[in-house]
Amino acid sequence: MTSEELTCPACAAPIAVGDTFCEACGAQLSGASSPDAQLPPAEPQEVPVAGAPAVDTTAPIPRTVKSSAVCAQCGGRILDDGFCGTCGQKARSPRDHWSEQPAAWVGGVCDRGIVHTANEDAMALAATADGSLAILVVCDGVTSAPHSDRAALAAALAACGQLTAVPMLGATSVAASVNYWTEALQSAANEANSAAVGVAHTMGDPPEPPSCTFVAAVVAGSLITVAWCGDSRAYWLPDAGPPRQLTVDHSLGTELMASGKSRAEAEADPAFHTITRWLGNDSVDHEPEIASQSIDGPGWLLVCSDGLWNYASAVDEIAARVSQLSATTGSDPLPLAAALVEWANAAGGHDNVTAALARCDPSLRLQQERTSGG
Amino acid sequence: MAEFKAEVFQNEFLAEGATDVHAVVSVACTGAGTAGQSGHGEAAEIIIVDTSGSMDMPASKIVAARRAAKVALGEIVDGTWFAVISGHSVAQMVYPSHPGMAKMTDVTRREAVHMIDALRAGGATAIGAWISAATELFSQVQTAQRHAILLTDGKIEGEPPSALPQALRAAEGQFQCDCRGIGSDWVVDELREIANALLGTVDIIAKPDDLEADFESMIRTSMSRGVADARLRVWAPQGSDVLFVRQVAPSVEDLSAKAVQVGPLIREYPTGAWSDESRDYHVAVRVPVAPLGNERLAARVEVVVNDEVMAKSLVKATWSPDANLTTRIDPAVAHYTGQAQLADAIQKGLAAKAAGDDRTATVLLGEAAKIAHDSGNEDTTRLLSKVVDVVDAEAGTVRLKANIERADEMALDTRSTKTTRIRKEP
Repeated sequence: MTSEELTCPACAAPIAVGDTFCEACGAQLSGASSPDAQLPPAEPQEVPVAGAPAVDTTAPIPRTVKSSAVCAQCGGRILDDGFCGTCGQKARSPRDHWSEQPAAWVGGVCDRGIVHTANEDAMALAATADGSLAILVVCDGVTSAPHSDRAALAAALAACGQLTAVPMLGATSVAASVNYWTEALQSAANEANSAAVGVAHTMGDPPEPPSCTFVAAVVAGSLITVAWCGDSRAYWLPDAGPPRQLTVDHSLGTELMASGKSRAEAEADPAFHTITRWLGNDSVDHEPEIASQSIDGPGWLLVCSDGLWNYASAVDEIAARVSQLSATTGSDPLPLAAALVEWANAAGGHDNVTAALARCDPSLRLQQERTSGG
Repeated sequence: MAEFKAEVFQNEFLAEGATDVHAVVSVACTGAGTAGQSGHGEAAEIIIVDTSGSMDMPASKIVAARRAAKVALGEIVDGTWFAVISGHSVAQMVYPSHPGMAKMTDVTRREAVHMIDALRAGGATAIGAWISAATELFSQVQTAQRHAILLTDGKIEGEPPSALPQALRAAEGQFQCDCRGIGSDWVVDELREIANALLGTVDIIAKPDDLEADFESMIRTSMSRGVADARLRVWAPQGSDVLFVRQVAPSVEDLSAKAVQVGPLIREYPTGAWSDESRDYHVAVRVPVAPLGNERLAARVEVVVNDEVMAKSLVKATWSPDANLTTRIDPAVAHYTGQAQLADAIQKGLAAKAAGDDRTATVLLGEAAKIAHDSGNEDTTRLLSKVVDVVDAEAGTVRLKANIERADEMALDTRSTKTTRIRKEP
């Protein structure tokens, strides 16, 4: 290999000029024309507020995907073959496991799980430091279609990028706000679908095009708006009061339950996980379904893939799990997301696991507004 | 320029708590060239001919030995260092006349042929002394590659039992030695011990007339080994045990005892000189348990020549809860595990028979007949059929033959380690 050849900064696999993603590990390649291209470290990103000009959507989403020369298992040195020279552990690909925390109150973990050999889940998060706006996107690649990991990552990044460019809405009615974010989310879903289709195009439009689910949640002030296709979910889990599953799976499982089967019966059916709506070149309907929720008190917004909710399918179960784990991890979303992923892996990790969280606390936000507004 | 390729055959998936990783590493060499001409040093050959008294009984043995030694000289490439030793109660120089080595030219070849014609039989069989003499001769010239042929017709006598092991300790790593027994009065275990220590082959030449062709092909093979010395370098993770490293094709040779520790986690195994050929190695490593979903290396297996890594392959371990993945046995690993069992069953079966335990012999040789049949090892099946009557090959039922030719039994013993390659796609 000559020094002129480009390599992925995350996994060192060869890449081509103009590649947006690494074919080997799926890492996003920003400024891929330079061999020294490095993904920027995670740091809070300014999201525009009302009246401010939109940020550049080509700016990379903050993320912590960095390859390491040190073995995470034993501290040994990772050799050129990608394995530790001491214990033999495979160097963890950043695509297999990464976390993001764009602001103190928003964080997530995306993990390969135990059983699958690739991580086809993806997430993209953005948030303002002041607690006024958060964007959480999770996509779950369809395992039966090859390279869905790339479609999922492309879709998540595209939707998040699109939503960060939407100007904040000034003071208005709840109904107007819901309409505003509904339109923004529909447009983001379109972008996400185009990105997934784009991945298929770069691969010569295979008969089984890469495809993925889609769920995007926007926290704007005291309103949560969610758009989704497929069976990745969003939950509102208030500290006090009943928890709520904001999404309804687009899956045969939902249809089975609608036809009168119990949750247990439906989940026992092999068709339970067959999704009826998705993003990708072969999608018949990528129009997202929309739901909204107002935030009346402190609580968690959880956006996740089925690799997590499989182990706590009913809303009360996942609420109880979050409540139990957050008793230890506190109000920081990142350790809680990590604990949720760890719990799913301990339960078997049969699928990729993604947990993205926003800690919503209206009283804190008002306090901050008062301080900064001075 | 020689090139090596290494390919791994294994099932990398381990069940929860499992620790043993088995892999077959298939190593192929191309472009080996000619011995002594790779630019890394010259080659040397020594021919050791048994001239003990028994070589005259019948005289056809010494006649065949003279003819074969001369044919061998004809195959040694000009420029190669060489010597011919006459082995009896002591090792006696045949050519050159003084203890040393000569460069092969038309003139030296003619002179050596003349001296071989004068070989006469008489004296005892002191193989340890012959090996020691060869070691001494090889040490006198600077060469990269040293090979000997040893021919005998009898068992060791006329030297203490410690002479051979002592000689082998000094010779190990200094030269390779192919051993041939002519007739049926020699001892398979003695020659096998020499061949194992000196990375050579062992075979029986039952009929003196076949000796010439065998010597010709041995020297030809040796001369085609343009890669003087290749080593298998095996890295295994901290806390692991290398259970064994075993050559499994073209024959079974356990290399485990030859391991040289070259780093905290790295061992090297000598494989001797290479021609354009392929050899398969069965590597077994016991690794520390890792959690489900973990992917690790169980071994890095490299082919090293002159301290340069010529080929590298990775043996992996991935712990999975999926029984469909973890219960599968790789066909190459299964095949060569069977071939090693086959060699073992034959050797132990013949030993039992020699000890008068016909019952054990029948069971073990029956097991061998079944493995040979199942794996399509036709050569071994044929050799077995001269020692046992196969009643039911699939069930492994055999009967010991009433009158067994000693040479047939020895042929089965010496060739028990020959393996068949795994059959490609069924």
